[in-house]
Amino acid sequence: MMDPKYVAPTLAEAVRQLARLGDAADRGFVFVRPDGTERFVPWSELCERAEHRAADLHARGLKKGDRLAIVVPEPDEFVLSFLGAVMGGIVPVPIYPQLSFKNVESYHDTVTHIANASGASMILTTATTKPYLEPVLPRAASLLGLVTVDELAGDHGTVDVTVDPEDLAFLQFTSGSTSRPKGVVVTHRNLAWNSESFMIHGLKKDSSFDKGVSWLPLFHDMGLIGFVIGPLFTNIPVVFMPTASFVRNPRIWLDKIHQHRGTITYAPNFAYALVSKRVKEKDVASLDLSCLRRTGCGAEPIQAKTLREFAEKLAPAKFDPRSFLPSYGMAEATLAITFVPADSGVRSDTVEKAGLEQGAARPAEGEAPTQDLVNCGHAFPEHEIAIVDEQGNRLADRQVGQIITRGPSVSQGYYLERELSAEAFKAGPGGHTWLYTGDLGYLVAGEVFICGRLKDMIIVRGRNFYPSDLEWAVSELPGVRRGNVVAFSSDVDGDEQLIIAAEGMSAEAEALRAAIAQRIVADFALTPHEVLVVPQGTLPRTSSGKPQRRKTRQMYLDGTLARARSVQGTAGQAEDAGAGA
Amino acid sequence: MTTMQRTELLQVFARTATEVAEKEFANVLETTSISELGIDSLGMLEIIGSLERELKIHIPDESLAGVLTVKDLLNAVESRQSA
Repeated sequence: MMDPKYVAPTLAEAVRQLARLGDAADRGFVFVRPDGTERFVPWSELCERAEHRAADLHARGLKKGDRLAIVVPEPDEFVLSFLGAVMGGIVPVPIYPQLSFKNVESYHDTVTHIANASGASMILTTATTKPYLEPVLPRAASLLGLVTVDELAGDHGTVDVTVDPEDLAFLQFTSGSTSRPKGVVVTHRNLAWNSESFMIHGLKKDSSFDKGVSWLPLFHDMGLIGFVIGPLFTNIPVVFMPTASFVRNPRIWLDKIHQHRGTITYAPNFAYALVSKRVKEKDVASLDLSCLRRTGCGAEPIQAKTLREFAEKLAPAKFDPRSFLPSYGMAEATLAITFVPADSGVRSDTVEKAGLEQGAARPAEGEAPTQDLVNCGHAFPEHEIAIVDEQGNRLADRQVGQIITRGPSVSQGYYLERELSAEAFKAGPGGHTWLYTGDLGYLVAGEVFICGRLKDMIIVRGRNFYPSDLEWAVSELPGVRRGNVVAFSSDVDGDEQLIIAAEGMSAEAEALRAAIAQRIVADFALTPHEVLVVPQGTLPRTSSGKPQRRKTRQMYLDGTLARARSVQGTAGQAEDAGAGA
Repeated sequence: MTTMQRTELLQVFARTATEVAEKEFANVLETTSISELGIDSLGMLEIIGSLERELKIHIPDESLAGVLTVKDLLNAVESRQSA
């Protein structure tokens, strides 16, 4: 396989190239701390500190190819540690830190699973997070020890490790919508290709003036590859702030774009909604966001309405809606799969609801109920995307089927998971190996529209429903929040039926049940078989807050949901399995 | 801190929670567990952000680690007010 044209062949080489550029005043990463102070790390210092950490890790017995679990909440320490491992040929395995208001047992289970599945020999963490990780040590046989970032401060010089494009760069654990996270194998070549794809072909970056601004968590693909790795391959300075700072005060995102004259930012749909809801008009008026030329949206279903409201809210700050950049991607493809052309903004396709239920996305005509889907763009050069039916045959434009993709960004599979890899990475059209994304969608002239997850699709009497659409409708009801609703189906006397589970307080359960059922009937002409209102924290979610629908269905089938409902009102009894920020 | 101020603090919390979650929290007690409020962790962080702005304090992430009830949260707020 060939190397990409415009970027270094490995991340280690990309970082060393940046260090050789010399120190211009703003070339590097800025880390905004929770107290608002900033730490600037120029490229040369970033490289030097990473090289020192690489040498220190080798001095502790880690060798090229060994896996290192990294649980470091502070963005600056995370980046230096991640790059330290990479420069030394060690394979970092980023893991999300324990979240507030969560029970610690399920966190220990997740970390133990990832440590075992990756065969990590060490955990790198901080003094504050160490107590949450120590209980994991005896539970994972491969783990030899735990070290904190302060302990890596010593100067051990540098190590001379050759890093090749086909070497494993890191393991990207993804929970998707199942409970057991799998480690996506990401090579340096995958990173180089995907970085070239989204930074150069997608964002059309210009290193003479572009600057990223991000609060995305760095233990997820969008934050880590989108704002650390892609920018390092293409010499783009970035301003990072902690995720919690954004959630506590969404305005800080806009403030930092304004203050640093940020040109590129990215966020999931919910973040745009949060800004529209929380940021005050008088604060918007004092901002100038005319600098922002790429406002990416991805990682969860994109709602045109949400982006429209954001644009209206920020119009006084000279926000340009053409900067919106809807996109589609997943960890198995390293990060990005499709981008819309730069400056094209949000383009929706209005289709007939009835047609979509039958798997045909016909443009709407007349008075029939319609649905808007957001155009997520086309594949990158040297990459391909297709829609296939259940037999793996290519479908025509506007026919809904599974989205598959192939190209040099696409991973080779899940780490040491032969069977799971063979299910997702397999032969397809043209005899090539394709990534079967598990997402349903359709193409129009090479541009993709996403309908939902294949395995989550609910088929009631021959009509297809996507849970995210049903959940979105319910989450617009007063008192219901995003991520607190799960729609799934269950077999009832031989017929597939819709079940909705929502979190709420027992006092309001009756009214909420009625309101949810009404909303589903009104919007989809579909009657739920059952609506359950369960205590907060009952519904399972991934670490990024997405509902785990299959796990919820399992909890429904084995009676866990019904039991959760019956203990409602007894404080502290419900198992808190949620996730969030 | 007097008892009166503590009651006010609970009221401030209830009002902030109502703004964020768009539902009433008139009957919230200090003994109420966070999981019973019907607000996810993202929502709790939003509420904490509002409290920080209203009371002009900063609550560090570390002091939120063991927070499971409204009382725990108010203790964290109070320790920053007197700090």
